[in-house]
Amino acid sequence: MHPPISLIFFFLTAGTSIGLFIFTYFIEFLTLFGKGQGLPKEVVLVSGVISLILIGAGAIGASFHLGHKLRAWKAIKRFNTSWLSREAVFSGAYGFTLLIYLVLKYFEVSPFLEHTFGIITWILGILSGFSTAMIYASNKFVLEWNTGITVIYYLLMYLMLGSSAFTIISYFYNLPYTGTFLFLTFLFVLLGLGFRIAFNVRQFYIKRPTLNEALNLPHNRSIRVIDKSSTTDNYCTTEFYYAKGKQMLPTFIPLAYLFTFVIPLFLLIYIYVTDVVNLPLLVLIYLSILAGSAIERWCFFVEGNHVQNLFYGLYPEEGYKLRKGYMERKETRISIY
Amino acid sequence: MPQYALVIDLNTCVGCHACATNCKEWNTQAAFGPLSDYDPYGREASGVWYNRIFTYETGEFPETQVFHLPKSCLHCQDAPCVPVCPTGASYKREQDGIVLVNYDDCIGCKLCSWACPYGCREFDEADKVMKKCTLCIDRIYDETLPPEHRQPACVLTCPARARFFGDIEDPNSEVYKLIKERNGFVLFPDMGTNPANHYLPRQETRINLEEFEKHILKPDNPLFLEVMRRHHTSSKAQAQETPQEEVTHSEELP
Repeated sequence: MHPPISLIFFFLTAGTSIGLFIFTYFIEFLTLFGKGQGLPKEVVLVSGVISLILIGAGAIGASFHLGHKLRAWKAIKRFNTSWLSREAVFSGAYGFTLLIYLVLKYFEVSPFLEHTFGIITWILGILSGFSTAMIYASNKFVLEWNTGITVIYYLLMYLMLGSSAFTIISYFYNLPYTGTFLFLTFLFVLLGLGFRIAFNVRQFYIKRPTLNEALNLPHNRSIRVIDKSSTTDNYCTTEFYYAKGKQMLPTFIPLAYLFTFVIPLFLLIYIYVTDVVNLPLLVLIYLSILAGSAIERWCFFVEGNHVQNLFYGLYPEEGYKLRKGYMERKETRISIY
Repeated sequence: MPQYALVIDLNTCVGCHACATNCKEWNTQAAFGPLSDYDPYGREASGVWYNRIFTYETGEFPETQVFHLPKSCLHCQDAPCVPVCPTGASYKREQDGIVLVNYDDCIGCKLCSWACPYGCREFDEADKVMKKCTLCIDRIYDETLPPEHRQPACVLTCPARARFFGDIEDPNSEVYKLIKERNGFVLFPDMGTNPANHYLPRQETRINLEEFEKHILKPDNPLFLEVMRRHHTSSKAQAQETPQEEVTHSEELP
């Protein structure tokens, strides 16, 4: 699949926004049960405004992949059936209730209303992330995406971005939560790594359809594409098969692992071992996760093989294969005759 | 519920691309057009097409067969492109089962094309909306046309008469009978989309040469003299070649 840059941008901004707010409000939420002291008002407002700006920028950025940007509001119409519609509703509502929460916090109108909107925003943020992940996970014609693993590690990456961003805020304002959030970042990065590996390993075992199944022919008959209707690429071949991306994938997947998981884990272990925490180090962890996530999203799209590619002979015939005890992507055989 | 659809005979489709060309022609000028062309006179000419013809070869040499597969929107009875559309621009008509796109509501998010396992939706870069086969809905309900012309452009133009149009749920329709009698099949039956367009499978064809000869060798056939002349010439040549062959064979024998 061709990776839309605007959707990768939305992932990074919405991920940081929602992840940051989840942790910011969670500390506030604990005060309802008499746990902790909550956050200083300034920290909540700064964190909240950053979240608000990011989700706004993400929404504007995401609209760039639409043909008609001004009609984007119409995306709320099919809430009952479309995950894209649900994503639009939840993301919009999340931004709106976040604004109200910040206004209530700023004017300190009523703790009851503050917490009510805080909880609503918190839930809407998670639902927004879940809906975005479900757009991919519910697509049963891109088998690589069509799994619960997609949703779980999608949400884990939101939490990775959020916890690493909140660690910076916590350290900057000298809050007592830096250690906790260093641990949470470590935990989410580790879990994210586990689920990303599961996502990649699963691709080796997917039972892929064949051109015979697509054309409803007996399985034992060999078949070749000898003409695909036009001499140049068309929408179907460019959108669903990104040839240049497929060539770059073996380079980019290790880079995604390196920046998203390996470097942050190494830096976090370094902090634990040496007990040295400073702002540049925490910023480096966040930026590494951010850059890694961008590459990871790019790979996620390119790894997706839509079944319509079968008709064009552009579907991996044998897919992936485990060899010599380590993961190695088998050369994808493409047959264009 | 009626379900209009196309039935395509793979025996007679010769892959001439006439259906695709006439589809492009009609739908570029009619209500659901234009189907844009990008760089039409350049080296990388491409554009939006409702109908594309694929050619496949099956079997192993020398026992191979080539067949052509025209593929336009299959107007699935459980169309997966409809529920994923966030605006409701993609919809299936209850009165005839035709899946259409409302261009005024389409935001061009491309999700419907992601949800179609057949690759039958295309994004028009010029109009920034998704476009797809409409079964020439602007023709089939046009009462100003003679009844025999109220059919999709591809069906009317097919020189091999490989395409049929009608209601596949109506037992009296031609398409219903064709599907039943000739085991019509659909593409990707396991995908749960229940496509409406059917294909008639290839059948073994046998030509009775005796019948052919009886027909061609009738004295009133204008080709009769030509056939007789050729027959006479070839038998004469054969008679001349025969002794030479015998000599060659005898020389080769030990």
